[in-house]
Amino acid sequence: MAEYDVVVIGAGNGGLTGALTLAKAGRKVLLLERHNVPGGCATSFVRGRFEFEVALHQLSGMGSDERPGPLRSVLGELGVLDKLEFVEMENLYRVVWPDTLDIILHAERAAIIETLQQRFPKEKEAIPGFFELVYGFSMEMIQGVFFRDPAISKEKYPLFFKYALTPTQKILDGFFEDPLLKALLGIYWSYLGVPPSRMPFGDFAIMFFAYIEFKPYHLKGGSQSLSNALLDEFLMNGGEARFNCGAQKIDISNGRVKGVTTEHGDTVLTRYVLSNASILETYLNLMDPEEAPHNALEAYRSSTIGPSAFTIYMGFDCEPGDLGIQETTNFITTTTDMDKTFSLWKTLEQQDVALFTCYDVADPEFSPKGASQAAFVSLQYAEPWYLVPPHQYYDTKYRYADGMLKLAERVFPGIRDHIEEMEVATPMTHLRYLGHPGGAIYGFDQFAKDSAYFMTSTSPVQGLYFAGAWAGSGGFQPTLTSGRSSARAILKSMAKG
Amino acid sequence: MSLKDVLKDIEGYQEIGEEIAVLKKYGTDHSSQRGQVRKIIDLLHPGKLKLHVSEIIRETGSTKTFRMVSPDGYLPPFQAGQYINLVVETGGIVTSRDYSISSAPSQTAFYDITVRQIGEGFVSDYLLNDVKVGDEFQSSSPAGNFYYNPLIHGNDLVFLAGGSGITPFMSMIRETLSRGLDRRIHLIYGSLTPDDVIFGQELENLSRNHPNFNRTLVISNPPEGYTGRRGFITADLMKETLGEDISGKTYFICGPEAMYTFCEKELYRLGISRKKIRTEMYGPPKDVSEQPGWPASVGRDAIVTVSIKNGKSVQVRTTEPLMNSLERNGIVIPSLCRSGECSLCRTKLLKGRVFQPEGVRLRASDRKFGYIHPCMAYPLSDLEIQLSNAEFSGSQD
Ligand SMILES: Cc1cc2nc3c(=O)[nH]c(=O)nc-3n(C[C@H](O)[C@H](O)[C@H](O)COP(=O)(O)OP(=O)(O)OC[C@H]3O[C@@H](n4cnc5c(N)ncnc54)[C@H](O)[C@@H]3O)c2cc1C
Ligand SMILES: Cc1cc2nc3c(=O)[nH]c(=O)nc-3n(C[C@H](O)[C@H](O)[C@H](O)COP(=O)(O)OP(=O)(O)OC[C@H]3O[C@@H](n4cnc5c(N)ncnc54)[C@H](O)[C@@H]3O)c2cc1C
Ligand code: FES
Repeated sequence: MAEYDVVVIGAGNGGLTGALTLAKAGRKVLLLERHNVPGGCATSFVRGRFEFEVALHQLSGMGSDERPGPLRSVLGELGVLDKLEFVEMENLYRVVWPDTLDIILHAERAAIIETLQQRFPKEKEAIPGFFELVYGFSMEMIQGVFFRDPAISKEKYPLFFKYALTPTQKILDGFFEDPLLKALLGIYWSYLGVPPSRMPFGDFAIMFFAYIEFKPYHLKGGSQSLSNALLDEFLMNGGEARFNCGAQKIDISNGRVKGVTTEHGDTVLTRYVLSNASILETYLNLMDPEEAPHNALEAYRSSTIGPSAFTIYMGFDCEPGDLGIQETTNFITTTTDMDKTFSLWKTLEQQDVALFTCYDVADPEFSPKGASQAAFVSLQYAEPWYLVPPHQYYDTKYRYADGMLKLAERVFPGIRDHIEEMEVATPMTHLRYLGHPGGAIYGFDQFAKDSAYFMTSTSPVQGLYFAGAWAGSGGFQPTLTSGRSSARAILKSMAKG
Repeated sequence: MSLKDVLKDIEGYQEIGEEIAVLKKYGTDHSSQRGQVRKIIDLLHPGKLKLHVSEIIRETGSTKTFRMVSPDGYLPPFQAGQYINLVVETGGIVTSRDYSISSAPSQTAFYDITVRQIGEGFVSDYLLNDVKVGDEFQSSSPAGNFYYNPLIHGNDLVFLAGGSGITPFMSMIRETLSRGLDRRIHLIYGSLTPDDVIFGQELENLSRNHPNFNRTLVISNPPEGYTGRRGFITADLMKETLGEDISGKTYFICGPEAMYTFCEKELYRLGISRKKIRTEMYGPPKDVSEQPGWPASVGRDAIVTVSIKNGKSVQVRTTEPLMNSLERNGIVIPSLCRSGECSLCRTKLLKGRVFQPEGVRLRASDRKFGYIHPCMAYPLSDLEIQLSNAEFSGSQD
């Protein structure tokens, strides 16, 4: 029977960086992926002459060559930077509410302040203060927590200890009056899937700070090129990968990983498994119920399955300019009530906030010459889709997509007539391609109680480790980073023998 | 103090701790969801289907409809125009072919597939000559991107069908008319001879009973004395039969490769824009060496060697899709569309050159990192490939 040092289950971001870190350290690694391409969310698919980006809208934490962000360092250490071409975006985002608001934030602190002060003169005084808090807090968090200052204390890092768990809405309310201003400043909440009233300020501040300081990025060839680059480097370092080959079962004896059996019935021996499958799938469906650690499962009683997404992928037969698309990242909204928006995610009712990303604005080569593409996405939970009878699934999906498209048309009238290719992905689509409960794209809900301050993804099963959104938080930067951290933990455990 | 302990000093920490304690008692019992993900996926997209032939209907001299039912009574939904990938084992070889479902999606009890014997067809011969009621098959769940999208395709549709290419249209027509959907359909259906027209009677009845459905038959090889339309589906024929607003309609083409290349050109001649044209790739071309871009230097039926990393080496013909050649040698790569579109067969090419006709839909980064779609890749030289489903190293070499 074949034997490996580590079997990695799942080639999503976390699985790929984990597998690569282990292979680079000279371990014999087998990577199993149920789909036919690497990447998980970080993939693309082809329709007609378009290659549609599945997930990546804005890559965080990259930074430039001169001022590298944390993600650039991770990718550099993994040896994939020279296989990739990055595209920096000048602007954070545009927020548009037809007939009410239309504003573009440049990815630069002073410029944002100026723009906001012009548009919201009544809030002129408060605006710089808010940014001081975001920055001051972020600096403390970086020094105290990320760099693990051994002398960390309330006195040394007052902003951090005061605000890390405060709801973002409370902070916004403290600074500002105008609900429009609060809504547009907090709009990145949809990247975390938690409304400002429940999103810890710590999560918001560090994300906002990072996107401004390190700029949002995209990749030539989309996120699939990153997944392919990571896989290529993994193979070059002697790793083995199997596609169309899900893990079926983790063999355990005496509380220790012994091997893995694939969906095709092959069994390999290993003492370590790094699972990029969801924690729930791993415990519930990849183990004999007798072997599954009851306590570990119980620990997730306080957690709920996070949102998935509903996306319309559109390939246009013309250039962005022809459709009035000037920005890459356009948040379209018709409300300032984000709690209501969040509650709509649990229904099949028309959404009132969604993100329209046109990749060709920042990267004119993204689509074929003379054409362009956009993804129009809103987060959504899977539950309402579970209630749709299978034989009404397609009708429901089109009806729902039609409503979404009408929302986009309020800002970009006439786009419908230029759609050459179109695909609609529902939470059920993500469920199918990722194999995660609820088709969740960020793992568990990320309320304050679910953060790393309270939860751990360490498993009581010896040799079992997790990487990816379910084991921390979702998004590219966190999941890519988590694979490397978990791999290091495995290497450490191996060194101990 | 450890970091964890210090963090307890964060404002609000205590309250959240209490919230968690409550939720630990009354929160979600995830273990009740054991097996749920698989079940939910299986309702819409089961990986594999088991099918039984419940009835065989002779349609024409060369065509039969196979009515497929599921032993457990459940068949997943599909969009009219989609196909299934049917796995067959014949002559000791395991292979598969795609067949569009010709029954309507509203018919949930069975899938009809309608197969034409093409003469010298490996699988179609077997299906038409040997398959009996009660035979069992395995297939994919319904797949493919050839279907009507109500958001962008409008209400005015033209179906251009050639030969067995009528099958996805039959499903779309049956669905539209039986559900009373607000769509107008004009079918232009080309066949070799009047006897080759599949579903002729049903189409005639439907067009008589439904004002929103018209059909035009055209015969390319008519017998003497034939009075109907002759020839091919040309721009002139379309101008003549489709009436007003030719450029406002959406055109769907399905048929042999030669037909859709021809029809597409005719549509461009009429000034139809590409976004108004939908085509179904109907598998590999009949003769790949006639495809644009095929290198003249490579012999039509030259033999080359394909070596599989850590596996065996086999001799293959340059003009046969790599996937088919491998199947002949007992090596089965997962397949679905067999037209280069879906990437299920994605395989890494380590050495050598292949020809992939236009229409093969590789991702840009797949191309960059040396992946090919063997269902539509033809070897031009000796090759080395890496199979991602090969034996695990160490088990055998
Ligand atoms: C529409 C959309 C938009 C997004 N936009 C952004 C954005 O702009 N910025 C950002 O940072 N993030 C974004 N995200 C989120 C981000 O893509 C994800 O959080 C991240 O990619 C998750 O990575 P992961 O490591 O958790 O693995 P996943 O991507 O969840 O992949 C898990 C992998 O494991 C495989 N697997 C599961 N079970 C098994 C098994 N039993 N055997 C073998 N393999 C298995 C799956 O097939 C999959 O490939 C978006 C996601 C989506 C879907
Ligand atoms: C999406 C899709 C939907 C389809 N729907 C239908 C349908 O509804 N009904 C239907 O009848 N068909 C349909 N087809 C076609 C079908 O899948 C098969 O291609 C068809 O039945 C012929 O298969 P075969 O095995 O009989 O022929 P094959 O043996 O595969 O031969 C196919 C062609 O290649 C030539 N050929 C045969 N052997 C070789 C060789 N060794 N080297 C080179 N060329 C060779 C043959 O002359 C023939 O022209 C569909 C195809 C696709 C992709
Ligand atoms: S089987 Fe679909 S691309 Fe080869």
